[in-house]
Amino acid sequence: MTGTYIFNNLYIYLFLALFLLCSGILGILYRKTLIGMLISVELIMNGAGLNLVALNRFTSPDNTYGQVFTLFIMGIAAAETAVALGIVILIFRKFGHIEGGKLKEMKD
Amino acid sequence: MNPAEYIFLIIMFVTMIGALITVLSGSLIYAMMGLVVTLFGVAGLYIYLNAPFLAMMQILIYVGAITILIAFAIMLAGPMSKRPKEWTTATKFIASLAVSLISFIVLYKAVIRGFWVKGKVEEVVMTTKDIGRALLDRLTFPFELISLLIVVSIIGAIMLSLLSRRGK
Repeated sequence: MTGTYIFNNLYIYLFLALFLLCSGILGILYRKTLIGMLISVELIMNGAGLNLVALNRFTSPDNTYGQVFTLFIMGIAAAETAVALGIVILIFRKFGHIEGGKLKEMKD
Repeated sequence: MNPAEYIFLIIMFVTMIGALITVLSGSLIYAMMGLVVTLFGVAGLYIYLNAPFLAMMQILIYVGAITILIAFAIMLAGPMSKRPKEWTTATKFIASLAVSLISFIVLYKAVIRGFWVKGKVEEVVMTTKDIGRALLDRLTFPFELISLLIVVSIIGAIMLSLLSRRGK
C-alpha cells in the first residue's frame, strides 16, 4: 500500500525503536536480578532489528540487506541467551542467588 | 482513517505497553510475559514493513525459543518466595530513569534531524526468494560465521553445566 498512511512514515518506526532502546536501558540499569537484565537486552536487540528493517524498507527498498541483518541479529540473540542463561544457572548454583549487585567475588 | 491504520496504532500501543510491563513489573514471570507481548507487536510491525518472513522468524525464534529458554531459567533459579523483589531504592530508580530519558531526548533529536535518503516511492515487494538469494549469494561468509557462533555457544553452554556439576 502506498500513499500517506501512518504506517508509511519512517519516523514512527524509528520512534518505536528508540522507545524500545530506552526501555531496555532503563531495565538494565535498575533491575536487580541477572535474568531481568537479560530480558532488557532482548528489548534492545528488538529495537535494533526494527530500525534495520524500517530503514531498509524506506531508504532502499530494492534490496534485502536490512532483513538479512535482522536475521543475523536473531541468531546472535539466540546464542547470547543460551550462554548467558548457562552462566546465570551456574551463578545460582554457586552463590544461591541471582542478584547482580551482590556478586562481589569472581572466584573463590 | 483506514482500518489498517487503526490496527497499526493498536499494534504500536501494544508494543509500547508490553515494553513498559517488561521493564517495570515486579516479578520476573510478568516481565517475561511482557516480553512476549512486545515480540508479537514487533512481529506485527514487520508485517507492516513488507517483511512477512521476518515476522514468522520473529515468532518462531524469539517467542518460541528464546522466551521458553528464559522461562526455564526463571524456574530453575530458585523458588518464587526466595527471589528478591525487583523494586530497588527510589534513588536508583530515579537515576536510571534520568539516564534513560536523557538518552531518549538526545537520540530523538538525532532521529528527527537526521538526513534519511528517500527511496523510490513505488512499491517493491521483496519475497523470501530474494532474502535467500542475498543470504546465500552475497552474504555467505557472515551466514557461515553465524552458524559457527551458534555451535560455539552450544558447546559453551554444555561446558558450563558440566563444569558446575564437577565442582560439586
